[in-house]
Amino acid sequence: MMADRNDSDVGSRLPLVRKLVLSSLGVLLLATSGVSFYRHRHLEETVVLSPGVTEVKRLSDYFDGVRGTINDCNLYFLEGQEPGATMLVMGGTHPEEPGGRLAAWLFAENAVMEQGRLIVVLSANRSATTVTRLGGAYPTDFVIPTDWGEQAFRMGDRWSNPLDQWPDPEVYIHDPSGQNLAYVDIRNLNRAWPGRPNGTLTERTTYALMELIRRERVDIVIDLHEAELQYPVISTIVAHDRGEELAAFVSMMLSDEEFNIGMEYSPKNLHGLSHREVGDYSDAVPLEFEAPEPFLDATRGRTTREQLLTGQDEFVMKAGEHGLLFERIDEHGWPIDVRVGRHTSAVLQTMESWTILNPDRPLSCRGVPRYAEVIEQGLGHWLHDPSQAPPGRVVIE
Amino acid sequence: MKPHCRLTVGMVALASTVLTGAGALDAQEAPVKAELPVLLTSCGQSPGPQRVRFFLKRLELEHEFFEQATAQNLRDRSEAGNPFRAIIIVTGASLKGMGAAGVSIKDELTRTEALIAEAKRQGITIIGAHVEGMARRAQGAAPGDNSDELSIDAVIPKSDLIVVRQDGNADRRFSIISENLDIPLILFDKNMELGSVLRSVFDK
Repeated sequence: MMADRNDSDVGSRLPLVRKLVLSSLGVLLLATSGVSFYRHRHLEETVVLSPGVTEVKRLSDYFDGVRGTINDCNLYFLEGQEPGATMLVMGGTHPEEPGGRLAAWLFAENAVMEQGRLIVVLSANRSATTVTRLGGAYPTDFVIPTDWGEQAFRMGDRWSNPLDQWPDPEVYIHDPSGQNLAYVDIRNLNRAWPGRPNGTLTERTTYALMELIRRERVDIVIDLHEAELQYPVISTIVAHDRGEELAAFVSMMLSDEEFNIGMEYSPKNLHGLSHREVGDYSDAVPLEFEAPEPFLDATRGRTTREQLLTGQDEFVMKAGEHGLLFERIDEHGWPIDVRVGRHTSAVLQTMESWTILNPDRPLSCRGVPRYAEVIEQGLGHWLHDPSQAPPGRVVIE
Repeated sequence: MKPHCRLTVGMVALASTVLTGAGALDAQEAPVKAELPVLLTSCGQSPGPQRVRFFLKRLELEHEFFEQATAQNLRDRSEAGNPFRAIIIVTGASLKGMGAAGVSIKDELTRTEALIAEAKRQGITIIGAHVEGMARRAQGAAPGDNSDELSIDAVIPKSDLIVVRQDGNADRRFSIISENLDIPLILFDKNMELGSVLRSVFDK
């Protein structure tokens, strides 16, 4: 009988022990993931201002509706020594495509405009830099080796952080076209152009950017992206109708001199994208540049920092062997230096080609490395040590 | 020399090609000469015609660009007393381009067939072009998408002159058509050489 009672006591205690253990594990998981989310959201990225940066403004200077929000991003103005056209370069529309952000970073830290004016945005959707794809097991950050150490950057997502914009509707009806888009794309900055002053955070962000473009009379808007190799719009320039000649010229020059890049028309009936709506709702010529990023491919292997930065992936290579890719890949992958170099050259080439086509409104820039230089020396060579920067020349992004 | 300087030199070379005619075809005459005005169009709605158009504009060659040129366009110009003397049809298909234009590859092939028939009836020189390399061949398209090759089949064998960027002929597809049907073929290496090809063909 005694033995039976003891067995019964043990039996009645077991569920309680199990609950305690599981609860402890849950709390532990909650705490560690919470710390991870917090660190991700609050990781401070430094920008050492190029001598060419003449002013740093905020997006809310153009539309009060983003003031005090996470998307009130920095705007880096580089006024040229001589007058000319105005170009806006945007990184961070999709922060899960770091090549675009880092290329813009090289302009903010190194560019000096000789003719015309450059405006640089590093975090067009800053909210999306504070989260990665939920359930995707993405790294929350990555580091770039530099001449003075390492510089850390936030890895981001394609969509605004649900902490900043929630809930999503069942169907996203784009304004003003009325086109039905995927529900989650209501948090996608590149499906929210031209934006609404009283819309969601993402829509207010694009509206503010449109105000910047209109009020500063921007001539060219370049939106820097990366794409998976299984997506047909890759290694290309997507051009609005008014940018077709410029894009054709840029793609021919780059393909002849540096690397292969094609051109595609911006579809007139696909709405919400910068290469369509910026052109339709302002006088600016919008172009979108796409570089390859195997990290985004659904067939990728381990989703690691190394894969993000080297672009090496045997599973994506295997997809290529089966003819399933729109861009080549081999054991060398698509390193971040190659991807960033493509973007810096593409922006610089656009300035040169624009100037040939519009000699009365030139754009010229020095200090920013082109494709071959970025590959040869690594992009970190052009990221500067904030501890050595002159007073007042470091900005937190 | 830094790459930036190389590019600046490259831009000078471009200006030289366009303005003075220096280029790949300098030492040789185009095997077929064409007259102006020229109609530029696409079979497959790829952005390739934009590359040709860029040089037509720079060279100030009298031209019209209709993305979906029809036989009626040719008839209208002829009846107006200012007929097109040449037509450049750029092959290679873009699903994005066709989608934006609201046409299918079948529509494109039907339109092009009628256009070529009318051009032949009027004695217009037909120049079939492919200017975007392997990216605009079936090898660069989605699995099972052969619309690039269909556009090539619709135009190239019926052309009076074929103009192709060399890398798009890696499998000798255009060379074989040229040899079998005795159609002159001009191959060019670099995009910027297309200007000198057009200059030579149109005797500019």
